[in-house]
Amino acid sequence: MISVSQLSKKFGDLAVLKEIDFEVAKGEIVVIIGPSGTGKSTLLRCLNYLETPTTGNITIGPASIDALSHKAKDITELRKQSSFVFQNYSLFANKTALQNVAESLITVWKVPKQEALSTAEAILVKVGLAEKLNVYPSQLSGGQQQRVGIARAMAAKGEVILFDEPTSALDPEWVDEVLAVMKQLALEKQTMIVVTHEMQFAKEVADRVIFMEDGYIVEQGTPQQIFSNPEHERTKAFVKRALKQH
Amino acid sequence: MQSSFDLQYIIELMPILLKYLGVTMEMALWGFLFALILALGLALVRVFKIAFIQHLASLYISFFRGTPLLVQLFLLYYGFPQFMPIFVGMDAFTAAIIGLSLHFSAYMAESIRAAILGIDKSQMEACLSIGMTRLQAMKRVILPQASRVATPSLMNYFIDMIKSTSLAFTLGVAEIMAKAQMEASSSFKFFESFLAVAVIYWVVVIFFTRIQHLLEYKLNKAY
Ligand SMILES: Nc1ncnc2c1ncn2[C@@H]1O[C@H](COP(=O)(O)OP(=O)(O)O)[C@@H](O)[C@H]1O
Ligand SMILES: [Mg+2]
Repeated sequence: MISVSQLSKKFGDLAVLKEIDFEVAKGEIVVIIGPSGTGKSTLLRCLNYLETPTTGNITIGPASIDALSHKAKDITELRKQSSFVFQNYSLFANKTALQNVAESLITVWKVPKQEALSTAEAILVKVGLAEKLNVYPSQLSGGQQQRVGIARAMAAKGEVILFDEPTSALDPEWVDEVLAVMKQLALEKQTMIVVTHEMQFAKEVADRVIFMEDGYIVEQGTPQQIFSNPEHERTKAFVKRALKQH
Repeated sequence: MQSSFDLQYIIELMPILLKYLGVTMEMALWGFLFALILALGLALVRVFKIAFIQHLASLYISFFRGTPLLVQLFLLYYGFPQFMPIFVGMDAFTAAIIGLSLHFSAYMAESIRAAILGIDKSQMEACLSIGMTRLQAMKRVILPQASRVATPSLMNYFIDMIKSTSLAFTLGVAEIMAKAQMEASSSFKFFESFLAVAVIYWVVVIFFTRIQHLLEYKLNKAY
């Protein structure tokens, strides 16, 4: 359902992604791990075209785009097929929780306003924010803001939700409630690609773990393979360090 | 000859001058409305870096900020009709409004642009990430936030514009300054006449400054 081929990204002379190929099936939960600065965020941002790839092809559901010949229309179509959960939440500051979640339905999908609001409300109830519908982001805790962020991504009707270190900016006390929402989504077979340092989450929830380093996919496999029986030395070293920290 | 200060004259002059305050405020309000529309267009052209037009916009802004308002008004009202026939029938009141809006739009465009650029980049990215276009993002998220930032300085320009309408008397618009000038030259009470008109401007400005503060207070409470 998602297919990425020969994806490369350079910032000036710095090659950040080096001819990446991978595929994700519908309903699959993919976790990407790797040292910082290796291009994990850039990969996710390219999938959502927040970053323009230098070369390569991205297909998500019905939308397909080639970096060398993209048109504005293709970009919008591709973006409609995915949504993004940001490390720093990036909620719309001028909109309430409910309006944040309903925005894509109203503006992008042209759903009638009342219907959009009731859909948004149902999603917020699901992530445990029934009490916070009409509250602005500035009055929510980090954990609550990120749950609104996830709700907003859920409402956007994309094929896949992309998570870029969704718990890294949170105070430790809020991490679990956000992970709980993500686990719930995983149980419902929502396709997701998650960049995270939460190794426990990866072990429990991922169908597949990808280890990235230096702009390449070094190794991928089931959590069992990657965490207990990695093939590559570099994977072994990273996993050993990462598991020790937790 | 030295004459004594005539308070009675001022008191009698006030209601006569106040009848012309309407013209002054009409110029300021229309001028501000058109300036706002123009400024928004200019700011967006520059923020989106639209080819060619963005350079025209920069040139426009540079010219109207770089030359005196009085010169611009004279150019528009006395100069242009000489070789552009459509300006021939233009009355002084219209010319003043056009001149004021062109002039102030250049300043206001810059403060709107600064406000837009001051909104965190992540807000635009969040819009794009759910499939919104840049224009939708501007309309629904960026401009609403930027307008809160820009309001105090735009209100300052409005207040400045009220005062600048006094230059319209040089085009022959019968506004409050023109009336004061007329009264002064017939009574020879220059000090009293111009003091009276100064007080009126002052009170009007104090009034709109209060409104400005109320508006800022409301905006700050919004979210
Ligand atoms: N906008 C940018 N301009 C220049 N370099 C960038 C930009 N974004 C990221 N990089 C560089 O690309 C590399 C990969 O960054 P990133 O994708 O954020 O890594 P990760 O998410 O794995 O930590 C880093 O060296 C980073 O400095
Ligand atoms: Mg990152």
